[in-house]
Amino acid sequence: MIDQLNSRQLDVLCELSNIGVGHAATALSQLLQRPVMLEVPKVSVVDIAEVPDLLGGPERLVAGVRLQVLGEARGNILLVIPAKSAGRLVSMLGTAGSDEPLESDLAVSTLCEIGNILASSYLSVLSDMIGAPLIPSIPKFAYDMTGAVIDDVLVELGTEGDLALLVETVFFSPRHEKSEIRGHFFLLPTAGSLATLLRAVGEGP
Amino acid sequence: MTDLLRVGIAELRVDRAPSVLACYGLGSCVAISLYDPELCIGGVAHALLPGPVEDQVVDRPGKFVSTAVGHLVDELLRHGAEQGRLQAKLCGGASMFQGFGGGSGDSIGERNLGAAKKSLAAYGIPIVAADVALDFGRTMEFDLATGMMRVRTVRGRVKLREL
Repeated sequence: MIDQLNSRQLDVLCELSNIGVGHAATALSQLLQRPVMLEVPKVSVVDIAEVPDLLGGPERLVAGVRLQVLGEARGNILLVIPAKSAGRLVSMLGTAGSDEPLESDLAVSTLCEIGNILASSYLSVLSDMIGAPLIPSIPKFAYDMTGAVIDDVLVELGTEGDLALLVETVFFSPRHEKSEIRGHFFLLPTAGSLATLLRAVGEGP
Repeated sequence: MTDLLRVGIAELRVDRAPSVLACYGLGSCVAISLYDPELCIGGVAHALLPGPVEDQVVDRPGKFVSTAVGHLVDELLRHGAEQGRLQAKLCGGASMFQGFGGGSGDSIGERNLGAAKKSLAAYGIPIVAADVALDFGRTMEFDLATGMMRVRTVRGRVKLREL
């Protein structure tokens, strides 16, 4: 399925995701009380072995929030935030001092909650568009090497095949270079769910 | 000049000294190394899953623990290694997201480790060292000149270990 998508279908997936991330960014921006910008989303179809490199290299230290997508379509939402940005997010929300370690309970639940807000607003838009409910699972957090953080997601994709489809959107805060925040929002639908998503918007196989 | 060769997810590789085989950012994946100390040849697999489901076609033996071990052994024997001399070391198999399995018991990391122990036992290959399980990621480099496995972590208590 994944390797048979045409460019129009990939564009549609990009656009679906773009609208969803747009709403998620608005929610984040309200929470942070500062603007949040988005890069144009990218959709890639790659071998599962290449995914860590696509996320900045297997050994890069990141904060990862993972939510499973439950409902009519299944997959994972992954929020990958470089360590520095994650620290800034936590201190910006005032839940912890800037020197608070990222593994403290307070920092972890702050980042999980950000993941929850982003995923929920993203999925509610996606649900409306495909006319079927999509719900995020509770968020799970890991602060470690990128490769280790995404292994579990690859396990899920790997049971179905060797390819992964990633829809990536980079979000960033434009002002104050010193406290720039950058993060990557990924949707990784399972191969079986792609058909559901595409059919719902009239681009089914 | 040492050859540092990367073994990516679902890959396996057999080589000889002075090459070094490396797996970066292991989470629930498990790296299995086999080594014949007499000839200084060895192999590493970077397995993602314990085994294929029922009638799944396996075109990448390195992806599954159960198929990777047999494949490594075959490759090594073809290169002149002796099965009786082979030694195994394990790295990875962590549970990065505690309790995400949906209550189905063992995490994927634990299942990968279980499959590795079972497959190696079936070939009568002893596990001489391991840095596995817990909840942090690992990078490992397997030095074919010495049979030494170097394990680096960012979040683990010990940042660098030699097995």
